[in-house]
Amino acid sequence: MPDEPPFDLAGCLERVRRNDQQAARELVEHLYPLVIRIVRARLPRRVPEEDLAQEVFLKMFSRLHQYQGSVPFTHWVSRIAVTTCIDHLRAQQRRPEFRWADLSENEANLLDAVMTNERAVAPDDALEASELVHKLLNQLKPDDRLVIQMLDLEQRSIAEISEHTGWNTTLVKVRAFRARRKLQKMFRELQRKERT
Amino acid sequence: MTPEDKVWQNLVSAARSVRDDRTTAAPYGFATRIVAQAFAAESRPAPMLLDRFCWRALSVAGLLAVAGVAANYTVGLRSEEEMPLDETAVTAVFDIS
Repeated sequence: MPDEPPFDLAGCLERVRRNDQQAARELVEHLYPLVIRIVRARLPRRVPEEDLAQEVFLKMFSRLHQYQGSVPFTHWVSRIAVTTCIDHLRAQQRRPEFRWADLSENEANLLDAVMTNERAVAPDDALEASELVHKLLNQLKPDDRLVIQMLDLEQRSIAEISEHTGWNTTLVKVRAFRARRKLQKMFRELQRKERT
Repeated sequence: MTPEDKVWQNLVSAARSVRDDRTTAAPYGFATRIVAQAFAAESRPAPMLLDRFCWRALSVAGLLAVAGVAANYTVGLRSEEEMPLDETAVTAVFDIS
């Protein structure tokens, strides 16, 4: 089976600028995997992923005339997706305090075991660990959450985060530091409180 | 590394091992719907923009009106206090006392 030719992004953008709707559809289909991965990783509660992806693409088309080509187009779209998710996360009410009661039985058992034994999580518990990590991340400010998620979960470098968010590297480091401090505080609080 | 950092690193390294097997292809008709909306928004007539700004203008006007009433309320109270008890606004204006 012959390989598909690489997508001509520059040519496609040129056609979209000339109001070619077929090119615009091709652009959406080409960028959808990138956008949906960003949206899924930072999806706010109660917001369907498709609605958020739709919002990202509509913003992309409405701001297309602002794109000057100083950064790769995919980075520019990533920034739109990231800021759209952050705006939705900011609009959500965060819980003032994280409690044991917020966790399912399995998550609470896992956290208890990890905190008391400081042992590695068993492969069978990976799904609970993932849920738990996301619940903890939800307690952070959206900007801090994004940085720590990209650093620790997606294992991106500071420079990569800077490219995808448009924030300078110092700001990324400050946000990472703030997020880690908040996480440490949360763990200490949980350890201090009796599990009910 | 603090014990809390160690707990966090244990959890995230387990979370990283969870694979997301969901499809990343655009749902059927998604691109068509987006493009139709995007191109319809581009050809939106000017009065629609005017509608948007009208609401802002209305809220600014409302705020100014409230501020105006508040500013003049204290002035009105003061001038009422300064007016002698046997004078009403009518007698003061037409000087018929």
